[in-house]
Amino acid sequence: MKRLFYYLKIWWLMSKNSFMTWLAQKMLLLIFLTGKLMRFAFFAGFLYFIIKGAKSLAGYNAPQVIFFFLTFNLIDIITQFLFREVYRFRPLIVSGDFDLVLTKPYSSLFRSLMGGADLIDLITIPPLVFAVIYIGALLNPSWLQTILYLLLLVNGFLIATAFHIAVLSLAIITLEIDHLVMIYRDLTNLGRFPIDIYKEPLKGILTYLIPVGVMISVPAKALMGLISIQGIVVSFAIGILLILLSFKLWHFALTKYSSASS
Amino acid sequence: MKKYLSVFKISFAQEFAYRLSFVMWRVRNVMQIVLVFFLWDSVFSGTQKIIFGYDKAKIITYVFGLIIVRAFVLSARAQDVAGEIQRGEIVNLLLKPVSYFKYWITRDISSKALNLLFATCEWVILYLILKPEFFFQKDPVSLGGFFLLVALAMFIFFVLIFIVSAITFWMPEAGWGMQFLIIVVAVEFLSGGLFPLDILPSAIQKILYLTPFPYLIFFPLQAYLGKISGLLLIKGIIVSAFWALTLWLLMKTIWYRGLKVYNSPGK
Repeated sequence: MKRLFYYLKIWWLMSKNSFMTWLAQKMLLLIFLTGKLMRFAFFAGFLYFIIKGAKSLAGYNAPQVIFFFLTFNLIDIITQFLFREVYRFRPLIVSGDFDLVLTKPYSSLFRSLMGGADLIDLITIPPLVFAVIYIGALLNPSWLQTILYLLLLVNGFLIATAFHIAVLSLAIITLEIDHLVMIYRDLTNLGRFPIDIYKEPLKGILTYLIPVGVMISVPAKALMGLISIQGIVVSFAIGILLILLSFKLWHFALTKYSSASS
Repeated sequence: MKKYLSVFKISFAQEFAYRLSFVMWRVRNVMQIVLVFFLWDSVFSGTQKIIFGYDKAKIITYVFGLIIVRAFVLSARAQDVAGEIQRGEIVNLLLKPVSYFKYWITRDISSKALNLLFATCEWVILYLILKPEFFFQKDPVSLGGFFLLVALAMFIFFVLIFIVSAITFWMPEAGWGMQFLIIVVAVEFLSGGLFPLDILPSAIQKILYLTPFPYLIFFPLQAYLGKISGLLLIKGIIVSAFWALTLWLLMKTIWYRGLKVYNSPGK
């Protein structure tokens, strides 16, 4: 427990610094916030008009499709809010400044992953949570379905965390991160819609190999009561397995760090 | 002319210097197209044969057309201009005996040539894998209108980038933010770069037609699909040319005013 508070305190200090950096450039903050809100509104708008014209998408009605889209955004924005530091990791490795992280009395993974929360994403989280609750309520879920949704959402965050740790690890091994993290984001973008719209083998790949489906579609389906007990168990197993594998990969990557340029 | 040919060659070689970066950019483009392809494929899997005035072949042609038109119009090296202004590097070129605009137009053409080469390969590969229904336009007037509109769109996009980049003269810290807002977000959606604009209500479409965005991607593709022809096509070409000229004049004015207030920070 004491350790948890220790890390919470460090996270708060690092996040405060990150927020102050943004607040020092209010114009830029406003521009990026507007851009993010515009992108969300445009995509949601187009989606709404497509469903309105087509009546349904892969058997899902308009509120259901919007709920898939909102669940994707919830996971995407919260992970970006927490793990923004991943996008700033490459200079640390290329310059050798990662040495300074390794010598500090806290987990280097914690620092690399959560070293600077993003203020813009924080601002967009409350309205998004409200939208998820509002549209979710229209689907009339039972208590059990709601609890399963929340648990599978946590499982989705676990998978997203595993992806980010893998990206950090590969950055140490290959010095390449900018594109890896963007490829990860493009892959998760495929989860904006229910994965049922994809055909095999892409559908299978997105379900089991790169489990975007488990991360985004499965929680939403659980709320709609469209997932079996086996599906839930497999989803949790994939989440736990991936996070364990990502920790292993991180420890392996650390042994490959050459401290070049330092 | 010879010096711009050298710029073209160097710029082309430069793209290959960052091969991974280029390949990843192309992979990202393909993934976006895959997402939109399956979305429309799913929309047309129901009983409805015509949705938003498109049959399946025409909407899939629109998606596949995006690969080519985006490579023609949206691949542009001129997006680096804002960074050059911010870092003070623009001075290096202003002092050289080359036209700054012609220099960047040449670099843009080199980028477009390379992107088009890859886009064509991607188009063929995706076509072979997905085996979509496709609409091949045979009418020479529609094809001519399409290529003319694409040429105008390339110029409009080039000028648009320079107008947005010029903001950096007055607000150096806001340059890349404005690029994100206008070039990445607004152009992506309002040009029809992801979805055709005629799925929107007519009131929104009318507002959009008062901006240059639809003439970047949506309008050229409508010409290819034969959805606009005759007088409408001529009217579209005239409006597109009007935007190209107006934005060019606007860009010149803003650019020279910007150069007057510019004090070359960092150099």
